[in-house]
Amino acid sequence: MSETIRYGFYSGCCFQGADARFFDILRDVFAKVDVELDLIEDAVCCGSGVIEERSELTSLAVNAKNMAHAEQMGLPLYTPCSTCYNVISNAQKRMKEDPAVHAQVNEILAEQGLEYKGTCKLTHTLWVFAQDVGLEKLKERVTNPLTGLRVASYYGCHTRNPADIQGYESADNPTSLEDILEVLGVQIVEYDTKDDCCGYHLAWPNNDLNMKMTSNVLEGAHTKDVDLMVTSCPLCFKSMDGTQAKALAQTGKNFQLPVLFLPELVGLACGMTSEDMMLKYHGVPVNLRL
Amino acid sequence: MLTYDILIVGSGGAGLYAALESRMEEDLQVGVLTKVYPTRSHTGAAQGGVNAALANLDPTDTWQDHWFDTVKGSDYLADQDAAEIMTREAPMVVREMEHWGCPFSRTDEGKIAQRPFGGASKPRACFSADKVGHVMLHTLYEQGIRHGVNFLNEWQVLSLMHDGQRCQGVTAINTQTGRVHTIQAKAVILATGGHGRIYWTRTSNALGNTGDGTAIAFRAGLPIKDMEFIQFHPTGLRRTGILVSEGARGEGGFLLNGLGERFMSRYAPEKMELGPRDLVSRSCETEVREGRAGPEGEVFLDLTHLGRERILERLPQIRELCIEFEGVDPIEEPIPIKPTAHYSMGGIHTDLNGQTSIEGIYAAGEAGCVSVHGANRLGGNSLLDILIFGRRAGKHALEYARNNSFTPVDTGQEEADTQMIASMMEGESGASIADIRRAMGNLMAEKVGVYRNGKDLESAVSELADLQEQFKTVRIQDKTKAFNTELVSALELKNMLDLAEVVAVGALERKESRGAHTREDHPERDDGNWLAHTMATLGDDGRPKLDFSPVTITEFEPKARTY
Amino acid sequence: MIEKITPVRKSILANIRIQRFTPSEHKSAYFDNFKVTVETGMTVLEALRLIKNTQDSSLTFRAFCRSKICGSCAVRVNGKPVLACSTQLMPILEDFKKDSVSIQPLKNMPVLRDLVVDIEPVIEKLSKMHPYLMENRERIPETLEQESIMSKQEHSRFDYITDCILCGSCYSACSAASADPNYAGPLTLGKAYRFSADVRDSFQGERMQAAVDQGLWSCAQCRKCINVCPKDTRPAVSIQRMRKMSIDDGIHDTAGSRRAKAYTGDVAKYGQVNKPMLPVIVNGPKGWAAVEAADNYLEKHGIEPTRQVCTLGGQSSTQKIYDKVKELEAKGENKT
Repeated sequence: MSETIRYGFYSGCCFQGADARFFDILRDVFAKVDVELDLIEDAVCCGSGVIEERSELTSLAVNAKNMAHAEQMGLPLYTPCSTCYNVISNAQKRMKEDPAVHAQVNEILAEQGLEYKGTCKLTHTLWVFAQDVGLEKLKERVTNPLTGLRVASYYGCHTRNPADIQGYESADNPTSLEDILEVLGVQIVEYDTKDDCCGYHLAWPNNDLNMKMTSNVLEGAHTKDVDLMVTSCPLCFKSMDGTQAKALAQTGKNFQLPVLFLPELVGLACGMTSEDMMLKYHGVPVNLRL
Repeated sequence: MLTYDILIVGSGGAGLYAALESRMEEDLQVGVLTKVYPTRSHTGAAQGGVNAALANLDPTDTWQDHWFDTVKGSDYLADQDAAEIMTREAPMVVREMEHWGCPFSRTDEGKIAQRPFGGASKPRACFSADKVGHVMLHTLYEQGIRHGVNFLNEWQVLSLMHDGQRCQGVTAINTQTGRVHTIQAKAVILATGGHGRIYWTRTSNALGNTGDGTAIAFRAGLPIKDMEFIQFHPTGLRRTGILVSEGARGEGGFLLNGLGERFMSRYAPEKMELGPRDLVSRSCETEVREGRAGPEGEVFLDLTHLGRERILERLPQIRELCIEFEGVDPIEEPIPIKPTAHYSMGGIHTDLNGQTSIEGIYAAGEAGCVSVHGANRLGGNSLLDILIFGRRAGKHALEYARNNSFTPVDTGQEEADTQMIASMMEGESGASIADIRRAMGNLMAEKVGVYRNGKDLESAVSELADLQEQFKTVRIQDKTKAFNTELVSALELKNMLDLAEVVAVGALERKESRGAHTREDHPERDDGNWLAHTMATLGDDGRPKLDFSPVTITEFEPKARTY
Repeated sequence: MIEKITPVRKSILANIRIQRFTPSEHKSAYFDNFKVTVETGMTVLEALRLIKNTQDSSLTFRAFCRSKICGSCAVRVNGKPVLACSTQLMPILEDFKKDSVSIQPLKNMPVLRDLVVDIEPVIEKLSKMHPYLMENRERIPETLEQESIMSKQEHSRFDYITDCILCGSCYSACSAASADPNYAGPLTLGKAYRFSADVRDSFQGERMQAAVDQGLWSCAQCRKCINVCPKDTRPAVSIQRMRKMSIDDGIHDTAGSRRAKAYTGDVAKYGQVNKPMLPVIVNGPKGWAAVEAADNYLEKHGIEPTRQVCTLGGQSSTQKIYDKVKELEAKGENKT
């Protein structure tokens, strides 16, 4: 009997609308590999880096609060969202480098009886699977290897940049996503636009540019004749799947490329069904011969 | 034919300052021709400071103190009127840079920060962390954009043209297209930097510090001055010659030979590693000569005994530099080093306005020689030199160009240069550029380096003549016109070979030891015979011809230089 | 104890794959493979120079200072923009666990030859950004008898960005610049911030307009520019700060500034961003099209659309944070 791994779960804002299903999916898929999530009850939105455009101190305080709650729970903070990961990690780094700022943030938090000690560990889906659960255990739990599936892997930007936001793997040559995919049995296909940004965060200030950027990434993968794209970032997933039709139409392209959020593919490989994964909610139909 | 009222060749601090000064009132067309992009210039590599007696840190500092320090540092070879101008005007040019936005570090009162520097009696080096040359260069470039200076980027200058009295312009090749052009100009300011690359791999200088302006001036018959004086820095990295700054020794680093001995005990038992630059350079060189070097002729700068924490806290940049450029982490192992050629004191002879013997032709910065550095430059004075004399040359050229018309020029030189390049591009190569360059660098480092003596210098002069012969057989293998960097390398090598010969001939002739010039066979300074500038011109036989001119002494009688 | 020094220096025979292209001779780019003995200490630039000197003299690249200050030699190594001069080869071979490495020109700029790109378009964008100080006479004295007074703290607001060497690495890594040729790119916006944040400057309004016109709000904050900058100038951070300045000046009302205000306000109110209504808040009435499209999407999938903000548990306490920050800012005590 393997031991259960627990995390303080910080959901961010990504699981809304049709993506609200990911709360359940994530729990079910994690259960397959003995991971349990304890919701951080008093969390607030990380601000997505956008709050910093008004006040950096506010952004730091908000995220210190999120981490302080995880510290109180005595658990590492897990977030499925790459942007939340990035923003919280940046806040952590900023306060570590500047003790005066750290102290000021704690002065702010003191009003609600909180303290951010600086001990909180952060992690993300990638490293939950690849390192905490480990590839060996994951492999044991794969009952339905996805052999023959040609997959384009897409990290997105916010678990990679800048290099010092994570200490889990090489920032220039991350392999966690491919390592996981290999265990799931798929065939990984290299493509040119893998390191490009989907532009999700431009959705409202500059939607046209967001659509162009998303289209560029998709096209790079599409030209390599892949069956699907898998991303570890739920916001990239929104761009790549939810707005794919619009992005391609606006840039004069005509194809469909199914896109999966990493936990979905893990679930499928671990014997869960398309219905379990609620794939019907995807913008681009997913018809896999499993 | 391209035409500018004033054409500046070179885009470092001297060139850009000259350009700004002459373009400020925006009535003349000013062009800057550069073989790189302006912000690539080597001025950017200067880290430490620019001297000016602002007295922000030490209220007792005066420009006269700075003046004396400069003259003394020069081993009394600087012209004292020139040094006076430079030190007197220094606070003004530094403030002008500041007013243009140069981000100098600040004191607690918000003034320009200053720090102590080797050879300076008071703390007067104005700095911006460890990047003062970089921020100065960018500031000048930015203001150049604002004031409409034209930039000819990635052009290689070929020849300097004059009618014996007045400037006509230059010829140059546009590297991006491969075409040779005549550029007519009322005034030309040569600001092409130094020629440390004649030591090839044994220099801290940029790859392009090949003395192009100095070489074309020499070939155009202009005198070049004090070329034998080359400053060496004791601690360049083994592979690249990139400097490991004095800070590492200041923090307690040891110099070890290949046997692991702390060899400075032999040469400076009291000061040990903190002896003056030239002494430390000579000591390193002696260890190598006497067979106590590491496996590749290096000695070592050892910081390991300082411990991880102290290195991370006090010397993080030096550590990063060793890891990035040498692949060595000084926490783990000693840093392999070699003395490295750092600065060219000599250059094109000019008057106090930067004007040469030809009207309308100017030189400034490391390419020129007024002379303010004499036999040895003081740290923090090179950046000052480029500001002061870049500015003066720009000012004077502006007046000159306003009051004079263009001197007629035909396309004869353009045709000759086009032909010269065409013949270099034809056929198979006899000798390789890389081989000649390496041979030149090694030869210069061994025989015209930190130590010199008559016998070695004689053989250096003759070996350099051999290399010049070999160079005639060089043919460019890359036959593409556009962006032919092999051709550029060949043109640079030609310039270096000419200058290396002048350096060697000057060093052979100067039978004394003064400043950076150390003759084992003439170990003393000899003011009776050698308190004089060496002036080299191109002789009728194609070899350098030497003359001497007196040093201007106005205030300070030569004394022994001790610190 | 005196011990002979024997440095450990490894060497590997590696394949250096270099992208080649001479426009007058080739239809498209191709790769050449060069075998090079890579030693401990060898930089990418040393390898390039070795190849040029011993294997193929026509190999074309730029290099000048060799010491990470001139910015000439930026290339992509295994896809990542780096300075060839300050990048060790051995650790890259070890990181990628391969005996080969690829070297390509920077992206987003036309290739002139092999590894040399045309940086003119970037310089032009930079020039349009008014990248110079315009004297603020309240700070800068009229005469050269005095320097201006600028505190250490005022200096530190922009000092980090003055390390920029215009190497173009960030521009190469920028996906927004790939997708939108009119976007100014990280380094140019970074420079704009550098001057606008300088108390000695008097030109903020016009430069701000230039920044807004050239895509201040087109940066997706992917933060790759921070990752690849060899001088750690953090362009994306400067862009955030420039955005803040543009909002603070109150004149530059843009979709981006409305988004920033919306996020900030929503988090105070709900502990969460009001995602369903964001398009309308940011883009005004024309944002309804996006709201309706989202509704249609949900209805198509059998989900009831909602205008409800999906609040997070901490919503009740965020206002306290905001109040406290405001209080500190009013006292001028904000330490960020």
